[in-house]
Amino acid sequence: MNERKETAGKDRAAFHGGGFRLASYYWQRMARNRLAIFGLAFIIFLALVAIAGPFFTPDPTEVDFEAKNMPPVGFTITQSVYDIKTDQFITTRVSGTWKHPLGTDRKGRDMLAMIVSGARVSLQVGLLATGIAIIIGTIIGVMSAYLGGWIDNALMRFTDVMMTFPFFLLLVLIVFIFGPSLAFIVLAIGLTGWTGTARLVRSESLSLRTREFVMAAKALGASDGRVVFRHLIPNVISLIIVIATLSIPGVILAEAALSFIGLGDPTVPSWGIILEEGQHSLTTAWWVAVEPGIMLLLTVLAFNFLGDGLRDAFDPKSNV
Amino acid sequence: MRKGWLRDYILKRLLYSLIIAWGILTVTFILVRVGPSSPADKYLANIAARGQDPSQVIAAIEARYGLDKPVLQQYGEYIFNLLRGNWGWSLSTSMPVIELIKHHWIYSFQLILLSSLFAAIIGILIGIYSAVKQYTKADYAFTFLSFIGISIPNFWLGVMLILVFSVKLGLFKTYYDTTLPLFSLANLKALTLPVITLGTGMLAAYVRYTRSAMLDNLRKPFVTTARAKGLPEHIVIGKHVFRNALLPLVTIIMFDLGSIVFGGAYLTEIVFGIPGLGQVSFNAIFANDYPVVVAITLIGTLVVLLVNLVTDIAYTYLDPRIRYE
Amino acid sequence: MQSYSRNNIILRVNDLKTYFFTRRGVVKAVDGVSFELRQGECLCLVGESGCGKSVTALSILRLFDSPPGRIVGGTVVYNSTDLASCPDQELRKVRGKEIALILQEAQSALNPVLTIGDQIIEQMKIHLPLSTDEARFKAINLLREMGIPSAEDVLNYYPHQLSGGMKQRVLVTMSLCCDPKILIADEPTTAVDVTIKAQVLDMFHQLKTKRQMSLIFITHDLAVVAEIGDRAVVMYGGRDVETAPVSEIISAPAHPYTAGLLECLPDLSREMSRLNSIPGMPPDPSKMPPGCTFHPRCPKMIDICRTQEPPLAEISKEHKVRCHLYA
Repeated sequence: MNERKETAGKDRAAFHGGGFRLASYYWQRMARNRLAIFGLAFIIFLALVAIAGPFFTPDPTEVDFEAKNMPPVGFTITQSVYDIKTDQFITTRVSGTWKHPLGTDRKGRDMLAMIVSGARVSLQVGLLATGIAIIIGTIIGVMSAYLGGWIDNALMRFTDVMMTFPFFLLLVLIVFIFGPSLAFIVLAIGLTGWTGTARLVRSESLSLRTREFVMAAKALGASDGRVVFRHLIPNVISLIIVIATLSIPGVILAEAALSFIGLGDPTVPSWGIILEEGQHSLTTAWWVAVEPGIMLLLTVLAFNFLGDGLRDAFDPKSNV
Repeated sequence: MRKGWLRDYILKRLLYSLIIAWGILTVTFILVRVGPSSPADKYLANIAARGQDPSQVIAAIEARYGLDKPVLQQYGEYIFNLLRGNWGWSLSTSMPVIELIKHHWIYSFQLILLSSLFAAIIGILIGIYSAVKQYTKADYAFTFLSFIGISIPNFWLGVMLILVFSVKLGLFKTYYDTTLPLFSLANLKALTLPVITLGTGMLAAYVRYTRSAMLDNLRKPFVTTARAKGLPEHIVIGKHVFRNALLPLVTIIMFDLGSIVFGGAYLTEIVFGIPGLGQVSFNAIFANDYPVVVAITLIGTLVVLLVNLVTDIAYTYLDPRIRYE
Repeated sequence: MQSYSRNNIILRVNDLKTYFFTRRGVVKAVDGVSFELRQGECLCLVGESGCGKSVTALSILRLFDSPPGRIVGGTVVYNSTDLASCPDQELRKVRGKEIALILQEAQSALNPVLTIGDQIIEQMKIHLPLSTDEARFKAINLLREMGIPSAEDVLNYYPHQLSGGMKQRVLVTMSLCCDPKILIADEPTTAVDVTIKAQVLDMFHQLKTKRQMSLIFITHDLAVVAEIGDRAVVMYGGRDVETAPVSEIISAPAHPYTAGLLECLPDLSREMSRLNSIPGMPPDPSKMPPGCTFHPRCPKMIDICRTQEPPLAEISKEHKVRCHLYA
C-alpha cells in the first residue's frame, strides 16, 4: 500500500514538474546511507581539485632531472646515484620534501601535479562519455519501447550485436585507428557504451507505457512527441540517474586501461599513463604506481557508493 | 519430460549466433581495413635504409598479400577463405593465423579457467555465509570488502601484487615464466598472482550476486516447509535455498565470463607478460595485422555466444519451469 | 461424543509469548497463549488475520524467522520435552517426525526446482531407517491413499506441473510420510477454491478418524470450524480469549468477540438485508491497547476493560473465557 502511494507521488510530481520537494524527499532517503554520502563528498572534493588544482600545482609535464625519484613526504628511501666526480655509484638517502608532497617520477615531474591532471582527465572522460552513452541509450530505449514493431526489433537486434562485441577490444581498435586523443577516447567510449542503458530504459518505458497517466495523456490527444518528452522521459529519469552514476566507474576504468596499455592521450598526464610508467619503476619509485591507483580506486568506489545509495533511495520498495 | 522444443530452440539460437558473429566480423573487418596505415608500414624503415623507393616497395608488398585490391573484394575473399576453414596469414609474425592461435590460446584459457573457479567457489561461499548472517558484523565487513573488490582496477591490483609479493618480498617472479610445463606446480605458482588479479573483481561481484540471490529466497515459504520437515540447516540452505538462488547466479556468472574474456584477461596478460590471445591481438592491432585481429575477435565472440547458449540450455535443467518459445 | 478423557493430553502450550524485535519496535505477535491438544482430537485455532494464530502454529516448532522473532516466554511441552527451549538438534527430531506442519501458502510451500519425489523422500531418509526404494514405495502408496492418480509419475513432477488441489494433497502426503503424531495445518482451505475446499476438509476428517491423528487446524472461518473441529481456541490480539468445545462455541459463545464472529456468518435460515461485521480493525500487534485488547471494538465494554487485563474465567470445566463480564 505504501509502495503504491509512493510511486503515485513520484508520477504526480514529475507530471507537474514539482521537482524540489521530490528532490528533498530523495535526498533525505539517501542521506541515511553513510557510504553514499562519503561517495558524494569525495566526488565533490575531486571535482574541486580538478577545477582549481592546476592553479596551485606546477606544470605536470615539467621535467627536472635534479629532483627525480623523490619519495612522498614522510618517506625516506635509499637510492644509488651515479656520481660524475668520482665516476662511481654512491648510495644516498633521500627524504620527501614539501616541495613535492607526493614525490616525483623518474623524470622529476611533480606527482601531485600529475595526479591533479589525472583527476581532470578521469572526470572529463567519465562525465562526457557517460553523457554521450546515456543520451544514445535513452533515445534508442525510449524509441524502441514507444514505437515498437519492426523498429523495436531492429534496434534491439542491433543492441544485441553491440553487446556481444568484445567491448574493450572494440575500444582499443577504434582508438588505435583514429588516434589516441582525448576527444576520440571520449567518443569511442560513448559510442560503444550505451547498450545496457538502452535495454534498461526500454523495459522501464514499456512498463510505463501502459500506466494510467500515459494512457490518459494519449486519450486526451497528446502527440507522440509530447507523450515521450513530457511523460515517459521524466519518469525514467530516476532510473537514468542511477545508471549514469553506476556507469561512470566503468568509463573511468576503461580510459585508465587504455592509457595503461599505451593508448592514452600522450599530451595530458592521466592516471593510467602514470600507472603505466610506474609499473616500470617499481624497484626505484614504488609511489609512482601506487598513487594513481589509489586515486582510481577511491574515485570508482565513490561513484559505486553513490550509485548504490541513489538506487536504494529511488526504489520505493526498499526501506532505507 | 520431453524436450523436443529444445532442439528447435537450439537450432534457432545457433543461426542467430552465426548472424551476430557475421555482423561483428564485418564491423571488425571494416574498422581494421579503413584505418589510415597499412600492414606494410612496418617495412618503411628498412626500405628507406636500403635507399629504395618506399611507395614502389610498399605497393609490391601490398600486391603480394592482396592488399591492393578493393576492400570489398578483400572482404569477399576473406569470408570465402574462412568458410573453407582458412583463417588467413599473419603478416606480422609470418605464420598462418590458425597456427598462431593454436600456440597461444592455452595461456588465456588456463588463466580464465583458474580465475573463474577461484572467484566462483570463494565468492559463492562468502555470499551464502553473508546472506545467512545478514546484518551481522561479518556480513557488513564482507559487503564493504566486496565493494572495494568490484571497484579496484584489476591492472593496478596486478601491479600492486607484483610490487608487494615480487619486488618487496621476492616470493614470485615479476613476469610470467613461459618456459614452465603447463601441468606443473611451478606453473600453478606462477599463475597465483595473475589469477588473484583477474579473479578479485569477479569474486567480489559473485559475493554480492550470491548474497542478494540467497536473500531473495531465504524467506520463501518452501524454506519453512523444508525446516518443518526436520531437515538439518546445511541441507535447508545448501540444497533448498541455494538451488533456487543458483538460477540468477548462473546467468550472471556466464555473462561475466563473456566480458572478462576480452576485458580483464587482456589487461592481466599485459601486466604479467602472459603470451595469451589478448596479448597476441593487442600486438596484432599495433602491427596492423588485420587477419589476426579479425580472427581473434571472431573467436572471442563465438566463445561468448556459445557460452550464452550453453547457459540457456543449462537453465532448462536448473529451472524446470523454463520453456523457451 | 467426547470419547477422549482429559488425561491423554499430547501437547500442552502454556503462556507462550513470541515477540518480533524489529527496527520499528517490538511486535507482540503471540502474547500469552495457552491450550492443550488431546489425543485424536481436532483443535481449531480461530481468529481474524493478524490475531497471531499462524505465529502460534509456527512457534510450536520454532519455525518463525529468527531474527527478528524470539520466544520470550512460556512452554510448549511434548513428550515431557519443552520445544520452546530445547536445543535445535532435539527439535529437528520432532519436526516432521513427531509433529508435522502444513504451511498456509500451499502454492509456494513446495520447492519449485526439486521434484515432488525428492521433496517427500528426503524427509523420510532423514527420520526413518528406509532405503531410497523403500521410501519411494511408501511415498507412492501414501500419494494413492490421498487420492492422487498415477502416483509414480507425480513423483517425477515439479510443483508447477500440479494443480492447486494436487499441491495441497502432496503437502499433506509430505507431512504424513513419517507418521507424525500431531499435524498442524495452517489455513489449508483458504488458498483452494470452493469446490476443492470440501475435498480438503474431507481429507482431514479421514486423517482424524482413520489414522487417529491429533490435529491443530488453523482457520478464520467458523463454518469450517463447525464442520471439522472438536474443540476451538478463539484468538484475538495475540491471546486466547475463549476455549470451548465447538458445539458450545457455536451455540453459546461467551466472549463478545466470539459472538461477533458468529454474527458475521451468513445465516441462510434467517432473512437478512446485509452481512454483519465487527466494527473497527484488529489491533496493531506493535501497539496493543491496554487492558482487554478487544475493548475498543467491544459492544459490552465496561470501565475496567480499559485498564485491566481480564483473568481467565471458567464457565464450565471445558469452557474458559478471558473476559471481565465473567470474572
